[in-house]
Amino acid sequence: MSDVGPFELADLRWTRVSGRLVAARLCVVGVVLAVPVVGGTVGALVSGEPWVWAVPAVALGVMGWVGWLVPRQVRALGYAERDDDLLVVRGIMFRRLVVVPYGRMQYVDVQAGPVARWLGIAQVQLHTAAPATDGSIPGLAPDEAARLRDRLASRGEAKLAGL
Amino acid sequence: MTEPSDVREEPGLAEPAGGAGDGAGSAQSSPVRPASGLAAQGAPPLDSPAWRRMHPVTPLVRGWKVLAAVLAVLGVQNADELARLGDAPRSAWLAVAVGVLAVALVGFGYAAMAWRMTRYAVTDDAVHLRSGVLFRQQRQARLDRLQAVDVVRPLLAQLFGLSELRLEVAGGSGSGVSLAFLPEREADALRAELLALAAGLRRPVGAEAGDADGDAQDGTGPPSAAPETGPRRWATPPAFVTAPERQVYEVPLGRLVGSIALSGATVAAVLGVTAVLVVSVLGGEVGGLVTILPIGVGLVGLVWGRANGGAFFRAATSPDGIRLRHGLTESRAQTVPPGRVQAVSIAQGPLWRGTDWWRVQMNVAGYGQEENQPGGRESVLNPVATRDQVRTALWLVLPDLGVADPVATVDAALTGSGTDGGFTPAPRRAAWVDPVGWRRHGVLVTERALIARSGRFWRQVVVVPHERTQSLAVAQGPVQRALRLATFALHSTPGPVSPAVAHLDQQVAATLLHDQAVRARAARATAAPEQWLTRPQAADSGTATGQITTGQLS
Repeated sequence: MSDVGPFELADLRWTRVSGRLVAARLCVVGVVLAVPVVGGTVGALVSGEPWVWAVPAVALGVMGWVGWLVPRQVRALGYAERDDDLLVVRGIMFRRLVVVPYGRMQYVDVQAGPVARWLGIAQVQLHTAAPATDGSIPGLAPDEAARLRDRLASRGEAKLAGL
Repeated sequence: MTEPSDVREEPGLAEPAGGAGDGAGSAQSSPVRPASGLAAQGAPPLDSPAWRRMHPVTPLVRGWKVLAAVLAVLGVQNADELARLGDAPRSAWLAVAVGVLAVALVGFGYAAMAWRMTRYAVTDDAVHLRSGVLFRQQRQARLDRLQAVDVVRPLLAQLFGLSELRLEVAGGSGSGVSLAFLPEREADALRAELLALAAGLRRPVGAEAGDADGDAQDGTGPPSAAPETGPRRWATPPAFVTAPERQVYEVPLGRLVGSIALSGATVAAVLGVTAVLVVSVLGGEVGGLVTILPIGVGLVGLVWGRANGGAFFRAATSPDGIRLRHGLTESRAQTVPPGRVQAVSIAQGPLWRGTDWWRVQMNVAGYGQEENQPGGRESVLNPVATRDQVRTALWLVLPDLGVADPVATVDAALTGSGTDGGFTPAPRRAAWVDPVGWRRHGVLVTERALIARSGRFWRQVVVVPHERTQSLAVAQGPVQRALRLATFALHSTPGPVSPAVAHLDQQVAATLLHDQAVRARAARATAAPEQWLTRPQAADSGTATGQITTGQLS
């Protein structure tokens, strides 16, 4: 009973984000880390110094760690629409649950970078008057992103309040 | 009076209802509502006499700034050459003089051009500002989104009897409208007018009828009515008088000086200077003194900023909200309408404990962006308050704290620990993550606000009215999870106050998150209107209870 954390809310169904977000994030990390891997390998082969192999080894290690971490991170991402507010949960080690009342939303952003577009995902971000509000939901299918955006916008207008 | 105002407001207030239908159908990434309050509304036509200019002396006041800045930069960069100028030939002097003259011409010339291009107009719904020499800008601040009105008088402007009028709306950085410079009288009259219009009052007499007709017919109403109202409004005495005010506290100069002497910056300066002096005397070297010069200059700047901003600090209450006046060389008169303060923090460092002084700051949307400027002047509700003044400052923001005994509650929040005053404290196991201050972490939810308490040596209390809650969060790190603790945070508009309660029991935090969302929603539903005088009876009862409460408080 007391072991139930603040993130397990009763009668609430979390919607998880698309698994393609894993690919998108790994793709970006892979491109970044490919540089030290390739560069380090070439450098080690050319110079013949054994310690230069540490560079690609470390980079590969980081790759492995990221490859293990990112799928879990993405699985931990979720959101839920309640009648009056939107809940966003994220994080494994450092967990965080944000509640954004619809009446507080100032605007909604939908973004998709080139990799995300190629993979068919988009990010929806809510903005309130408080910059600390972290209401971003990455890894949504475009249909879902559009649906969420319209729904949030209409809900926000229906429950409109001042600052 | 209320009847026409209701009619006039319809275009603005109908937006949510009409927009809801649009939003569902349209496929654009629709903004829920313009954050900056710069919605498109009818501006007067360009040749309308409603457009007014700033005072003609403005370029002179502004130009000096350019000149001083350019000369300062050049002077610093070419300090060596300047030093050799003493024994330079006449031609060199002449060149310098010509250079200064050229800079002055450019500076004043540009300021004059900027002045020529700058015009403003006030309609019933918005303030319009046109400016820009090369890059033209038209800005429109909706009065129903008004967050604060400041009248600023820099030193040079004071000499000419000029004032800058600044309107803050809740937008991003630099979203406010600055009317610089206006004659003092005009600035004061304009402020009264803007506040009255923003409060939901309407212009009296004939102008109103014309305006209302125009609006009812079509969107071009205000422009066509403007030529009539513009000159008449300014030819006759101002339509609105400044709302009466009652001073509630002031900060004596002696206390301000004392508070600065007892601040961390002063202690650091004294320690630093002593250390360097000792080292250089013992070592017999004077070189060390040069190294502390920049730090010293910085500290002096900081201290000066505090002294300048806090000097002659006075707070008053009026139907238009909180009035703050302060400033030595640059005097500033702020008006923050009711309900515009998003959060209040009351803080005390260890040095102020003996004298029981507190620094009271607030979050006001629109002020937040300038928080990092010297002193963060605008967001200060009281630079150094006694216990009584803390209560009064809180009362200014929140006339009804929502508890039976506000004095005891405020005292418990300021100095108490554990369950004092009904607070829900952090559990004992929080000592593992915060061995020093765990007893002070606590939260109290009243009917009207959430009060968060923290800090053992650097005491801090944050008060957030329920209806001003933007969003909520619960966060938990690995250590906290092992201890079944969680941190609860409330999100407020940008500013010096960021409300949070660390290391609460995770169940308490979860319950708080849920309940606070419900409470904030309920409070928003019954909150006072944005236009604070549109329900006169509500405003009256508010002041009445406020006076009773202040009696209790002080």
